[in-house]
Amino acid sequence: MFPIYKKELQSFFYTPFAYTITALFLLLFTYMISTKVADLESNIAIFSYTEVFYNVIIYFIFLIPLLTMRTFSDERKFGTEVLLMTSPVSVLKIVLGKFFANVTVFLFMIAGTVIFPYITSQYGNVVESQLICAYIGFFFWGTMFICVGMLISSMTESSIIAAVIGELIMFAFLFLDDFSRTGFISQYPKLQSVLMAFAAQPRFAYFSAGLIRLSDIVFFVSAIIVLLSWTYISIEKRRWKRG
Amino acid sequence: MITIENLTKYYGKNRAVNDISFTINDNEILGFLGPNGAGKSTTMNMITGYLPMSAGKVTINGIDISADPVKAKKDIGYLPEIPPLYPEMKVKEYLSFCAGLKRIPFGEKRRDEIDRVMELLSITDVKGKLIRNLSKGYKQRVGFAQALLGDPKFLILDEPTVGLDPNQVIEVRNIIRDLKKNHSVIFSSHILSEVSEVCDRVVIINKGDIRAIDTIENLESSLSTGLVLNIKVKGEKSTAASIIELTKGVKEMLDITDEGSGIFSFSVQLDGDADTIRGEIMAELLRNNVNILEIYTERPNLESVFIELINRPVQKHSLQELLDEMGGEAADEDDTTDDTKEEN
Repeated sequence: MFPIYKKELQSFFYTPFAYTITALFLLLFTYMISTKVADLESNIAIFSYTEVFYNVIIYFIFLIPLLTMRTFSDERKFGTEVLLMTSPVSVLKIVLGKFFANVTVFLFMIAGTVIFPYITSQYGNVVESQLICAYIGFFFWGTMFICVGMLISSMTESSIIAAVIGELIMFAFLFLDDFSRTGFISQYPKLQSVLMAFAAQPRFAYFSAGLIRLSDIVFFVSAIIVLLSWTYISIEKRRWKRG
Repeated sequence: MITIENLTKYYGKNRAVNDISFTINDNEILGFLGPNGAGKSTTMNMITGYLPMSAGKVTINGIDISADPVKAKKDIGYLPEIPPLYPEMKVKEYLSFCAGLKRIPFGEKRRDEIDRVMELLSITDVKGKLIRNLSKGYKQRVGFAQALLGDPKFLILDEPTVGLDPNQVIEVRNIIRDLKKNHSVIFSSHILSEVSEVCDRVVIINKGDIRAIDTIENLESSLSTGLVLNIKVKGEKSTAASIIELTKGVKEMLDITDEGSGIFSFSVQLDGDADTIRGEIMAELLRNNVNILEIYTERPNLESVFIELINRPVQKHSLQELLDEMGGEAADEDDTTDDTKEEN
């Protein structure tokens, strides 16, 4: 597993890829913060980091698929899948190696954001416990999206298609709770409760409000496990389907 | 030893490989010969555990590749048709990654092993280059180096000499020949001369069916339609022709060419012992004052055997049927039948 993890990290960090995507993320993050700070002029505005995080997760829809789109599709495109599959490494370890590499780059991305609360804490007060909760939620949310992206990448040979479909699915995920609250869905309370059970955004909201609830952790962890298992199954299935 | 039993592969409803069985013995180079689309790569992909088989079994040193893939794959080095390279990696980096995949311990041992394979395939001079910038021949050799890492007992090489220049082809062939000392090699190709030069035995397949498994010599002799004798004479055309035609053992006059100044070339197909027939013809021609300028027999080469084999219509669906047929056809070629039956 370690050689694959290392190789993936090399492909992110020996090329401008990880730095570019991190720079883009930080740019968007900074933009969000600066508009919030500018809003402070008006009387009704309240500035909170958790709110910033809450607003920033929409950017993940565009950034995470960029990170994950090549995970498996490029291996297939360049024929290097054969190398991995004929090495004495199990498919599960291949999936996990790539997963941890993607998560590492994601952590690298969000690590840069720590600088803003740090600066604020130098001149004022930051509610640290709430901030830590928000970061945990942020981490879970991003990791879950990474798993979605990896699953899609394992299904196609084209990284562009992987990115676009990944974005669509993440978009649907993000607005699932809004959708389930619409008047139309409210007519069917049972369907609504099912949809709400899958909605991840309200669970992220608890984290950003400073609450760590076991049910939310279980939700994200199980979503990650299920999506990784599907990725594993999808790779195996593709091999079998060829014949 | 690798044993392949009743291996079958369906792509949807298409049958790419049809119930094939053979073995690869230790320290043997086995040629895997067939036209494009014959099922060579599919078979190799199944042997190496990349593709699952629809039916059948592959065992590597007694370990079933489907049951314990990780353990079985440890003994295999595989060079697929398209070398599996990461274009954005440097050669040394790539080999180091592959060494990691093959669980060669980190540190000096890994470095030595990488240096060894780079030396063997003379790619040391490009070790710091990005793979994407290498020429096709180098890429092929980097892929080959990857297969050799960790000194696996079995090497499965899918068209290893494609894209190499003639010098490199000879080098790679020599490497493969050297590998025989400690390894078994399966080597696929559609280049016949290559196979006949390097391999101990060949498996010929077409459209997913095994057409023959044998040594090259046996194949040549068992499937040839007889030797061809070429004679160039100076003298009376009709006398020479009638003498040659009437000699016992001459099956058929294939060709007569007039080369000018009373010189004629004849080629005839023989049926029987070539030396006796040649002697008789020579004696008779000399007795009739026909000068012999040139006389030689020609062996039908592997190429013609190959073409004959792959074009032969096949109704057989099991190896046994194939063996039975070969047994009947080449009853006088005892080695042939013995050899192939052993494998069953």
